[in-house]
Amino acid sequence: MPGQKTTIEFNDKIVRQFLLATIIWGAVGMLVGVLVASQLNFWQANFQTAWLSFGRLRPLHTNAVIFAFVGNMMFAGVYYSTQRLVKARLASDFLSQLHFWGWQLIIVAAAITLPLGLTRGKEYAELIWPINIAVAVIWVVFAVNFFWTLARRHEPGLYVAIWFYIATIITVAMLYIVNHLSIPTSWTHSYPIFAGVQDALVQWWYGHNAVAFFLTTPILGIMYYFLPKAAERPVYSYRLSVIHFWSLVFVYIWAGPHHLLNTALPGWLQTLGMTFSLMLWAPSWGGMLNGLLTLRGAWHKLRTDPVLKFFAAGVTFYGMATFEGPLLSIKSVNALAHYTDWIIGHVHAGALGWNGFMAAGMIYWLLPRLWDKPLHSVALANLHFWIGLVGILLYVAAMWTSGITQGVMLNATAEGGTVLAYPNFVETLNTIRPMMLMRVCGGGLYLVGWFLLVWNLWRTLRGARAVNGTMEVFVEEKTAVTTKDKTLGLLDAVLNPPVVFSALGTVFACAWMFSDGMLRIAGLFGTALVVLLAWGHFESKGREWGGWYDRLLVGALPFTVLTFLAVVAGGLIQIIPTVVANRAQNVEDRLQVPYTPLELAGRDLYIREGCYNCHSQMIRTLLPDVMRYGDYSRLGESIYDHPFQWGSRRTGPDLARVGGKYPDVWHYNHMKDPRQISAGSNMPAYPWLFTDSRDDKVLPAKLSVQRTLGVPYPNWTPEQIQTRVDDQAKVIVAGLKSAGAAVAPDREIVALIAYLQKLGKSEPVAPKTAAVP
Amino acid sequence: MTPTDRPSVPAEPAVRPHIYDGIREYDQRLPNWWLLTFYGAIVFAVAYWSLTQHFRTSTDGERVTAALARVEAAKLASIDTSKLDDAAFWQMSRNPVFLEPGKATYQTLCVSCHLASLKGKHENPAAIGPDLTDDRWIHGGRPLELNHTVTAGVPAKGMITWGPILGPKKIAEVVAYILSYHDPKETPVPEESTAPAIGAPAPIAPAAPQGGAR
Repeated sequence: MPGQKTTIEFNDKIVRQFLLATIIWGAVGMLVGVLVASQLNFWQANFQTAWLSFGRLRPLHTNAVIFAFVGNMMFAGVYYSTQRLVKARLASDFLSQLHFWGWQLIIVAAAITLPLGLTRGKEYAELIWPINIAVAVIWVVFAVNFFWTLARRHEPGLYVAIWFYIATIITVAMLYIVNHLSIPTSWTHSYPIFAGVQDALVQWWYGHNAVAFFLTTPILGIMYYFLPKAAERPVYSYRLSVIHFWSLVFVYIWAGPHHLLNTALPGWLQTLGMTFSLMLWAPSWGGMLNGLLTLRGAWHKLRTDPVLKFFAAGVTFYGMATFEGPLLSIKSVNALAHYTDWIIGHVHAGALGWNGFMAAGMIYWLLPRLWDKPLHSVALANLHFWIGLVGILLYVAAMWTSGITQGVMLNATAEGGTVLAYPNFVETLNTIRPMMLMRVCGGGLYLVGWFLLVWNLWRTLRGARAVNGTMEVFVEEKTAVTTKDKTLGLLDAVLNPPVVFSALGTVFACAWMFSDGMLRIAGLFGTALVVLLAWGHFESKGREWGGWYDRLLVGALPFTVLTFLAVVAGGLIQIIPTVVANRAQNVEDRLQVPYTPLELAGRDLYIREGCYNCHSQMIRTLLPDVMRYGDYSRLGESIYDHPFQWGSRRTGPDLARVGGKYPDVWHYNHMKDPRQISAGSNMPAYPWLFTDSRDDKVLPAKLSVQRTLGVPYPNWTPEQIQTRVDDQAKVIVAGLKSAGAAVAPDREIVALIAYLQKLGKSEPVAPKTAAVP
Repeated sequence: MTPTDRPSVPAEPAVRPHIYDGIREYDQRLPNWWLLTFYGAIVFAVAYWSLTQHFRTSTDGERVTAALARVEAAKLASIDTSKLDDAAFWQMSRNPVFLEPGKATYQTLCVSCHLASLKGKHENPAAIGPDLTDDRWIHGGRPLELNHTVTAGVPAKGMITWGPILGPKKIAEVVAYILSYHDPKETPVPEESTAPAIGAPAPIAPAAPQGGAR
């Protein structure tokens, strides 16, 4: 075969850049984490300052850890391993640099805008719309750079790590774009196009799969490269890689609704969320098995090698978190655990244990190779491991104890089950205070470990020389015959037994699930028949399946298309019925009364201050919730909420029906000094709401966007809007004055009170059936 | 690229032919327990979907409402029935836990005079008892007055003294059932009885249903 040998030099500069960014942003993200955890214990740590308050800093912490820390780590790992696995230098140095600097700029913009209160009010999707566009553009830059590199590869087959990278790139793009669809009202503010239950569903389809495709699949790919390299052992099972990759990407997408169990979300979606989460257990553990069992024959190296220690512990934490996830998705377990610290513990087992340790292992492995100098101190790296491990265990154990304790207390009843045992919410909060403090210690230890890494890196890098890896590749002269023979066409990729059986099975299963009568029975039998046929075919012609898959791995495009089809199915089936269903049919028996302009202004302040980080607006269909907060929340009660504010954690009580529960002056005093009203509360005070005046001039633009989005506002002129605002503000101010609280009507607090008093106000409508496909 | 691998596990499994940057892959069977976990979860998902989506008829919301009604019932039941106030009666009148037995008692004993529709004379002039669904009351329409009327009866008009027969709990349930046709905001209007008085005090025995009353 004609061809020639050449030596390629990899672009390792970009890997070094992303690696350093990982280390810096990791420290920042964790530092903010320790600060916000301390704020929960000591309200004084909010410093009575708007941009330092918990509601604004917590989004900064989550965004920094996810997008800055894990994001940069992912890019470093993907770029390093991909170049070597496909035997090609990154396609474009320019795109690589654009990717790096663009991403850092986005992070800096996030770090500035979030403390300023510029937010979209949706978890892990808080960044404002101009930054959203930048993220999408930079992600496309990443995708182009990556796929272009694949196109120029000298290695025909795609290794399993590359499969996971492909799934990451296309799925994150899809999720990010759909969940960030919004209409701007100004340069810094927008309303999401979805509202209420639709927004909730889309948000958690995104939120859950951000965990799946931003924090899991790229790290699994990184594991598949770095772990066998470090262990110098073959990967445990290729077959397991195939099965767990495809089942993981297909099943993961469906599991989003498990964040909304026992809420107003239609029952069929809740059931899908729970059952798919349980079905996700084995596919997730497939990844853990392939990691841990690859270490067979290399376990003795763990004694001395910090890299393998981090990897082994990281993969173990992955296994633990992915067992806990399905467990928490069981409706009855979720009834106890949701809104409590158990969930916080769960995500940190993943973020600190899996992401953080995989990052540390990768960094310690890469440092000597990227800078051509041995690690400054292996002993220090080992110390980092042990300190970090103790930190995580303290953290997770504290959060388990805290979550279960608070859950049990909130659900506890007395006097034969007729009254709540702990009617005062603050009582449950103060019981878990010691655990919340232990969390700070655990997180603090983990951060200390990270600083050891920074020190180790600093000492290693001093006087070190950056080196770029090289590889000798044999470049075949491409002839039309050889390439045609090997790659699958798009049609071949789709029309073959495994794909056809999977597609038919899915169609029949949907027919069984979502239809009635004969069609349901036909769906059930059809599904069973397809399973039997597929099984029989695999038993007799399994070799052909393997051969087909080998050919699929040679074509990046068909592989990408199939991956996209696998991830898109679940989203389409869940979201489309909910979005297209006529809103009027989606209300159950209550219909929300649209906010007055002043209340809407108050709502945007509620979002600005990040109140949703601690307060839910969703009374679940559970007896303790109903006994504590009132009748369960209906779909129709948040139908005009752009964005929805159902919340995910109750550090404070639910607010869905707080309107009218207390007089205006109660809220006035409570926002000024929460502890004056509620002794033992850890809520920050909001003094700036009493001194800052509202910007009512933005209201016409906001109302006009809300009208466009389908909220039934009349076509008011700006003057009419202002009159309405003034009239309502005057009434509130007069009421406050008679209760002895003086405030000017143009202050922010007036709008916030108006909003809080509106919560839970709805009008009854004739019951209609909820949207079911 | 990799140094030749010394087999550290007894039988070396099959290795995939291709090597990626020095990384080799075994091609082992999937562990049976892993497969069983996966299949087990799928079977559970099918069964659970079927159970919750195809066979269960009530929604989560309906179930929690019913559970709450039971809690309220337990609360009210723990109150001494002789000390029930109007508000408690109104609460009971919206709670199926009381309405169901109340309706059952009504339909066995009260229908004979007040008819199944509760409309009594208003529906059929031949009926003995007056209409219980309108806002006009001969002996008072407030819950406590109603409770008293049922307990003490109006022997002169044929209304039996139910107190000793039914006991306070069953009477309270029947009153709640009657109140379920009313609203706390209604103002009861006093009305003169049009029924002829029965000459002698009625004996304590259920009145025989009148022919043609239905």
